[in-house]
Amino acid sequence: MRQPSVIARRVAAASVSLVVAAGAAACGPKDNDAKGSAGDSAPHKGGTLTVLNSNPQQDFDPARLYTSGGGNVPSLVFRTLTTRNRENGAAGAEVVPDLATDTGRPSKDATVWTYTLRKGLKYEDGTPITSADIKYGIERSFAPELSGGAPYLRDWLVGAAGYQGPYKDKKGLSAIETPDERTIVFHLNKPEGEFPYLATQTQFAPVPKAKDTGTKYEEHPVSSGPYKVVGNENDGEHLVLKRNTYWSTAVDAERKAYPDTIDVRSGLDSSVINQRLSASQGADAAAVTTDTNLGPAELAKVTGDKELAARVGTGHFGYTNYIAFNPKVKPFDDPKVRRAISYAVDRSSVVNAAGGSALAEPATTFLPDQKSFGHTPYDPFPAGRSGNAAKARELLAQAGHRNGLTVTLTHSNSKDFETSPEIATAIQDALKKAGITVKLQGLEENDYSDKIHDVKTEPGFFLAHWGADWPSGGPFLAPIFDGRQIVKDGANFNTGLLDDKSVNDEIDAINKLTDLDAAAERWGALDKKIGEQALVVPLFHPVYKRLYGEDVRNIVISDWTGVLDISQVAVK
Amino acid sequence: MSGFGGFVLRRTVGALVTLLAISVIIYVVFYVTPGNVAQISCGPRCSPAQVHQVAQQLHLDDPLYQRYWHFLEGLFAGQDYSTGTSVAHCPAPCLGLSYQSDRQVTDIILTKLPVSLSLVSGAMVIWLVLGVGTGVLSAWRRGRFTERALTAVTLAGTATPVFVIGLVLMIVVCGELRLLPFPQYVKFTDDPEQWAWNLLLPWLSLALIEAAAFARLTRAAMLETLAEDHVRTFRAYGVSERSVVGRHALRGALAPVIALNANNFGGAVGGAVLTETLFGLPGIGQELVHAVKVVDLPVVVGMVLVIGFFVVIANAVADVLYAVADRRVVLA
Amino acid sequence: MSEALVATQAPGTDTTVPGASGARQFWRRLRAQRAALVAAAVVALLVLVALAAPLLTALEGQDPTTYHPSLIDSARGGVPIGSFGGAGGGHWLGVEPQTGRDLFARLVYGARVSLGVALAATAIQVTLGVLIGVASALGSRLVDQLLSRITDIIIALPLMIMALALLAIVPTSFPRPVLVTFVIGLIAWGNIAKITRAQTLTLKGLDHVAAARLSGWGTWRIARRELLPGLAAPVITYAALLVPINISIEAALSFLGVGVKPPTPSWGQMLTAADVWYQAAPQYLLLPAGALFVTVVALTVLGDGVRTALDPRAASRLRVGTGAKGEGRAAGAAKGDDGTPGAGKEGAA
Repeated sequence: MRQPSVIARRVAAASVSLVVAAGAAACGPKDNDAKGSAGDSAPHKGGTLTVLNSNPQQDFDPARLYTSGGGNVPSLVFRTLTTRNRENGAAGAEVVPDLATDTGRPSKDATVWTYTLRKGLKYEDGTPITSADIKYGIERSFAPELSGGAPYLRDWLVGAAGYQGPYKDKKGLSAIETPDERTIVFHLNKPEGEFPYLATQTQFAPVPKAKDTGTKYEEHPVSSGPYKVVGNENDGEHLVLKRNTYWSTAVDAERKAYPDTIDVRSGLDSSVINQRLSASQGADAAAVTTDTNLGPAELAKVTGDKELAARVGTGHFGYTNYIAFNPKVKPFDDPKVRRAISYAVDRSSVVNAAGGSALAEPATTFLPDQKSFGHTPYDPFPAGRSGNAAKARELLAQAGHRNGLTVTLTHSNSKDFETSPEIATAIQDALKKAGITVKLQGLEENDYSDKIHDVKTEPGFFLAHWGADWPSGGPFLAPIFDGRQIVKDGANFNTGLLDDKSVNDEIDAINKLTDLDAAAERWGALDKKIGEQALVVPLFHPVYKRLYGEDVRNIVISDWTGVLDISQVAVK
Repeated sequence: MSGFGGFVLRRTVGALVTLLAISVIIYVVFYVTPGNVAQISCGPRCSPAQVHQVAQQLHLDDPLYQRYWHFLEGLFAGQDYSTGTSVAHCPAPCLGLSYQSDRQVTDIILTKLPVSLSLVSGAMVIWLVLGVGTGVLSAWRRGRFTERALTAVTLAGTATPVFVIGLVLMIVVCGELRLLPFPQYVKFTDDPEQWAWNLLLPWLSLALIEAAAFARLTRAAMLETLAEDHVRTFRAYGVSERSVVGRHALRGALAPVIALNANNFGGAVGGAVLTETLFGLPGIGQELVHAVKVVDLPVVVGMVLVIGFFVVIANAVADVLYAVADRRVVLA
Repeated sequence: MSEALVATQAPGTDTTVPGASGARQFWRRLRAQRAALVAAAVVALLVLVALAAPLLTALEGQDPTTYHPSLIDSARGGVPIGSFGGAGGGHWLGVEPQTGRDLFARLVYGARVSLGVALAATAIQVTLGVLIGVASALGSRLVDQLLSRITDIIIALPLMIMALALLAIVPTSFPRPVLVTFVIGLIAWGNIAKITRAQTLTLKGLDHVAAARLSGWGTWRIARRELLPGLAAPVITYAALLVPINISIEAALSFLGVGVKPPTPSWGQMLTAADVWYQAAPQYLLLPAGALFVTVVALTVLGDGVRTALDPRAASRLRVGTGAKGEGRAAGAAKGDDGTPGAGKEGAA
């Protein structure tokens, strides 16, 4: 029942998806709204959209949010330099300009990026948006009082490593220049061809210095987007957004903003959300959810009902669930043992534990199965549909474990979308056939997080998951496999403790490329190369299926997020 | 010191001691709870330096007694804290700031308490009516079918967990039969009528669990009273059975019922976690469970103290009511 | 904490100490109540089923942990194939969605955990509660104050929160069902302590006890011979009520995600998982809910029967009733919404 999912803040991009196609124009050309109901099914302005969520819009401050591509609800209020392309499918995984006129002009070696702001940009109170505001918005994200977000700004910007934010450090970040009101220049430590992707994050939203109230800013942040915050109760439990009259489609090519009001409610039980969307009564007919999936039980109900099935948006979520090894712990230091386990894994029972074949797709690659990641199919240790126990035994015998092996699988006790305890049990069951006895060690969520992210306490064999901060191989592979990203005294994500110079050099080389397609190809090849080391055993990629109300139109699901884009939906 | 004044004084002192002891227990328990609180508060991708800064800000590396002292100081003298751009003041009694949201714990409590109180008050009315009513009927119509049927219903309420009753009720009443819309909490101050309609299902779910106890209690107490000497005397004098049951027996049963009820109410304010979670009610129970999971110590301490406060008050009220209702009891 | 009953002796309280003839009387009275006998039989059957779980599942030819992926429809969320949840063909009660594990096996093994945890936790609560209650009532005023204060604190601490916190602290190498038992046992003894204390106070003032003291008997001898028998009635009644409450607590802990861990089945866990499957696979919910219902009803009726048998005055009353005035409020077993007696829901005994 409860999917009290702590939505992984490292939510990332999505990939090719079957989508309920939709048009992009305001009020005019028909969309292929699958309802096929009588009457005009084109989207119109007006009405109130209700969003029913489990998790609150906590810390609704652009400095603190950790989103992929600016977030769904946040990007209604916080426009950024660049944003996601609000289109269906693979086109939706591209970066397009938002406040800027283009996706950025790099210097020759991609260490300097220059942006020009559009003309006519205004906040919700009519004051103009300037480049200094964007610089200030980024600077304040360094303040200790406003902690949160992704680490890239701190690592990428020159001299930012020790910067304490504008409240303590009056000098500001020299790495960001604002030669005039509409120009902003970024100086980076290393070449970063993917800077435009980074610029989609909310930290790149403008914040007027005069209106900055520090930790209280989240109560009423100044909007640069189509909606402004008129009510924020209980730190994001109930957020009410109303149209920002100083915004128009003339200055925003991406968002449609049809509804006049958006009412975001959280703290609801996930099965209740699904019940309400199914019933679609009253105000719920104009309701959507941005964080609650159909669980397997609800899916079973929906598949039998044609009307309901037509109101399900399917998106692929660029995310991988996998088993991780710590090669410093025996017997996982022996590649043969790791390969044996790779052969023995039964992905079909893992998929069932995750909700069935409609909600999870078996994965043999670390990168998600999407073009933007440069996905290269490979399966170095083919386990087949249900595991290759024979081959596993053979490898174990070669490794000196003729009579089988006993290992401990560490997992989290919390029931989230990945349903860790059930997946661990499924793996335990499968490995039994290969002669591997698996003892389960379930840890409480916090304890689990601590242990697996600390090199000193990292278990040898555990369940993990990872999503990219944007749809590219870079943020997906680098934190996990770049040797220089191993953190000895803090949260470490390179759980395989891989420090291979050739891998590190390749990562640097790909980062120099500003041609994102070329980069994608090389990321894919790198993924394949790393995969041969059997440092992880990919298990599955989740599929997002979400219901929406009867009156909701213009469903756009991109490969970036895998969920419907609120800036596109209409309720009339 | 004797009499009611003495009673109040003794209880107040007792309450303070209890609450203080509770706060110490919570501090100790959470001190040993695993979880990198600074990392959880800062964010999953924070660097070690950032995490360290947050730890300093929240005094997480201080020894336990110092952190507790800091808490007491805030409680009696208030606390100043930085919002970045300015310095804000948290007036006494300041229960601290949430590690997660930086909001003042007292503010959080003030927004969540009315919801929990709404839930419990309404449920209380229903469980009293249902429970006592069933009990009276059972005592009156003892041995008949009505009694057995009602007993079975109330027993069913005890035997099914609230998350099963609640969800099935919602699915059947709102989803399938469409008698009511799915409940969504509305503040009393916004719209009293909607407030009541939206709380109807939560009230019913919670009340069904409790009603059984009251039914059985009332029945037993009434039967007890009915068998007593003075009641037999009434009967001997020809007082009608109805009068006997309705007035005399019921009065004898009221004392324990009232007392039990006061206690239930006190505990349920913070104990209705499952109901709040299921119906999405932004109350104390739900917030508390979340705070425990993310080790948000100030929120946990603050809310447990509030709950403890209600329990202590409820106990005191129960004793007073019991003494008032049954003159043989001496308030000590 | 209530000192309100210090001077009470409710006239309706029967405090006859059952001697050897009392025991026989007790059994006679118990046998006279049909409902209690049926309930006793049901409880015995449940315990038997729980104990014989391996035997029963061997008869069926299944076990609670083997996955049967062919019996579920993966594309439809893992719903069991076939009517009645895949019942028949060696699976007497069908299979579990998403895993295909045999439901009958999980139900009987789950009975072990649920009943075992509940009974053991009740035993802990009764032991602790009676010890503290008696010590409090018989001890000096200081001891009484101290123990009563501790009891109050335990009652005031929110049950679920303490359970959550404690379950997070203990390392997971410790066997989970045992841990859950201890946690439930250690945080919910408050009410029984209060009842015991009140009843002991009442008994303390009785003639035969005074006589015993005058004869020079030591405190513990008095406690054993004169007091404990008088305590039997309220304590046993409440204990019988505690068992279903503890089962509910275990279910609540599973709902919050901190109960026993997979693959160990328990009714609480099955209920939590099955809740959402109500529409797509109703038997998955109805089976454990039904089992729980039967258990709770049987235990409650049995408890009432025992209590009635212990108190002769109750011979004139009918089945489901609670005790004498002093414990009437107490035995009403009020609960929080998770069926717990926590947080001071007990009458001021």
